Amino acid sequence: MILKLRTTQIALTSLLQKEKEAETADLIIKLGGEGIRKCYQCGSCTAICPISEHYMISFRKSIKYAQLGLKEKLSSDLTPWLCYACGECSNSCPRDANPSELMMTLRRYLTMIYDWTGISRLLYLNSKILLSAIISLSVLTGIIIYFLHGPIITDRVALATFAPVELVEATGRLIFVSLASILLLNTFRMYRLSSSRIKLSLGIYIKEFFKTFLPNFLTQRFFKYCSEKRYWVVHLLIFYGYVASLILFEVLLFITHSNDPFLFISPLSIIGLFSAFSITYGGFVVIHGRVKKTKPLWKYSHPTDWMFIILLILICLTGLLTGIFRSIGWSIATYMVFSIHLMIVVPFLILGVPFTKWSHIVYRPFALYFGRLNEIRQSKIQEVVRL
Amino acid sequence: MSKPVLVIGGGISGIQATIDLAKHGVEVYLVERNPSIGGKMAQLDKTFPTLDCASCILTPKMAEVLRYNNIKLLTYSEVQEVKGNVGDFTVKILRKPRYVDWDKCTGCGTCTERCPVKVPDEYNVKLGQRKAIYIEYPQAVPRKALIDYSHCLRLNPPPDLKEKAKGKPLCGACEKVCPTKAIDYNQQPEIIELNVAAIILATGLELYDASNIPEYGYGKYQNVYTNLEFERIVSSTGPTNGNIIRRSDGKPPKRIAWIQCVGSRDVRFNHYCSAFCCMAATKQAILAKELLPEVDTTIYYMDMRAFGKGFYEFYKRAMTEFGVKYVRGKVVKITERQDNKNLLLFYEDTIHSYMKKDEFDMVVLSVAVRPNRITAAPVKTDKGGFIQIMDPYMDTVTSTTEGIFVIGGAAEARDIPDSVTMASSAAIKASTIAKKCVVEQTIITSGERA
Repeated sequence: MILKLRTTQIALTSLLQKEKEAETADLIIKLGGEGIRKCYQCGSCTAICPISEHYMISFRKSIKYAQLGLKEKLSSDLTPWLCYACGECSNSCPRDANPSELMMTLRRYLTMIYDWTGISRLLYLNSKILLSAIISLSVLTGIIIYFLHGPIITDRVALATFAPVELVEATGRLIFVSLASILLLNTFRMYRLSSSRIKLSLGIYIKEFFKTFLPNFLTQRFFKYCSEKRYWVVHLLIFYGYVASLILFEVLLFITHSNDPFLFISPLSIIGLFSAFSITYGGFVVIHGRVKKTKPLWKYSHPTDWMFIILLILICLTGLLTGIFRSIGWSIATYMVFSIHLMIVVPFLILGVPFTKWSHIVYRPFALYFGRLNEIRQSKIQEVVRL
Repeated sequence: MSKPVLVIGGGISGIQATIDLAKHGVEVYLVERNPSIGGKMAQLDKTFPTLDCASCILTPKMAEVLRYNNIKLLTYSEVQEVKGNVGDFTVKILRKPRYVDWDKCTGCGTCTERCPVKVPDEYNVKLGQRKAIYIEYPQAVPRKALIDYSHCLRLNPPPDLKEKAKGKPLCGACEKVCPTKAIDYNQQPEIIELNVAAIILATGLELYDASNIPEYGYGKYQNVYTNLEFERIVSSTGPTNGNIIRRSDGKPPKRIAWIQCVGSRDVRFNHYCSAFCCMAATKQAILAKELLPEVDTTIYYMDMRAFGKGFYEFYKRAMTEFGVKYVRGKVVKITERQDNKNLLLFYEDTIHSYMKKDEFDMVVLSVAVRPNRITAAPVKTDKGGFIQIMDPYMDTVTSTTEGIFVIGGAAEARDIPDSVTMASSAAIKASTIAKKCVVEQTIITSGERA
């Protein structure tokens, strides 16, 4: 009797387990992983990948986890972060499963899993929620600007009077700190999910931080393995555009956000122009690619991909316009455009940075760092075994 | 007399259908494009899963075709037009000129010895050479010589020689030596019109052009072969007399790899499974082991499709008895080493999950097959170019047009046993139609008499 009950229990749990696995697989298909239905596990993607010459990795295995819906295996897997989507695997895939896009999908899935708030899941799975979140955040920003803006001076451009420096700075800092903390907590979750509990000395953590994390963060050197180096340049341009704008409009806000007429020749504005132009250029390359579907990666575009790239370009364009109007001296136009600029920046940052695509700036180098730490752990285990 | 049946294609399925119809007492026309019947099976060395000699099975059947009075064999002929419908098809057949009177030719082969022109041999997949006047292969049926117009110096002289000769006829070596005076340079193409009750399409398969798949370097790397080429190499009647030697240096290989699903099960080339390659590669690996006991044989596959009777046992036997290695994974590209022309295979070891490179002396591609194109017959084809059948469950040999049957490789990629089974099935259906036509005719004639 007891035995029978026990078997029923086991059968029930395994049934539940199966359902869960099917759910995970369905979730991945929803995120753009249609290809897992086509893949017959030949391993072409791993064999053709330029990275596999240097690292013992298997993209096929990650796809297998997705096919089977093995949630634990998937969430501890760092392999998708190694891929920079050159698309060679998709060109040599005999099943047209587009492994390059599957890696992108798994990165979306991982971003969703790392996020502890659950917001990421909502944004990724429901495009209506995504759209309404963008609009409501934008409107909210608009309302705040409407009520809190300073005196409107029309005889000259006084942007720092219209939007008081202290206020902009305070809100900027608040958003920055809260988003950064969510992102760091997510990164910590990623570490917990992907790393075994074997302790390493602090020295190794620090050493590898400088040896693995920083170089990858600053140069994205995994791109050097990819066949088409052009996208490395584009990707780096966008990245440094971000870094520049972060420094200009977060750290140096008290200088850049002022009532002085905007000069196009000052070093700071040159940096600003660089950031705006490089992001716009990179953005248009990506949009053109996604519309024309020139690369295997761009054959499928998730709503969050469109949000990311469209908002990004709008931010740059409105930022540039603000600068132009400011230097011409059209006060009302400057204030209007700047308000619109803020109304796009806020939803972009809040939705993008910790919850969707933007986070890969942080996750990718950290994944490489954590992966390297795991490698060290593995070699330690092997040493112990050998002894 | 019953109305005749036309069988198009003289491969193993066409031969089987023809013999079965003849045994039924039906008059049959067997049309073959090549000079000899036999088809792809005649090029094979051994058959799976029993390792029987292919020509030992096929040659008696080919000879049997000649024994029946009610079989009219039309080789070196092509069907140009099919009109009409069931019970009453009008077919136009082009008999290409052989330039040899086949009633007089005894197949002695003296002419082929004397002919000065050497041409790549189609029977040996262009690995060997034949003459411009030739008998396709020693077991050919009918065993008669013919002249290849495009390469013959007399019939189609190259322009520079023609100028030198100043109007005088060139060469003529075969005419001089023929003991029965069978050479006839003035033969013209003929068109025959037939009225038949039913048609059986047995047009068969051709190999997919492996050079369309650039990553395997077929045609560029010397030691990359197709499965049919390898079959000719291991065959004792082949260009190397049954010695496995490399194209680059003539040395026997130490390591041979087979790559499965080359151009098949691949949406970039052909989506379908070519059905026999798993077993054919297994057979070829065993043959290689038998000829060179020291050779290392590895088969790269994705799914081992050993579904037929005795197939799985054959596969297990290859592994245990012969030591053929099986590796699961698709080879994604091949590169050639400059110094010794060895080949490097890139693939993922799907057991250990990482990319591996292996070096081989010879690589055999299990290339996909494609149906031969049939333009004359009014039938529908499916996505892969194979002829569509009426009902995939209950009537697997009738095409979408009533009275036209399709057997063997023309319907789908098949092995020998399946093709033969279909042939017999189509034969009985065609025979039924042919005999019904007679009954109808008698009623009419008896009516007229009354």
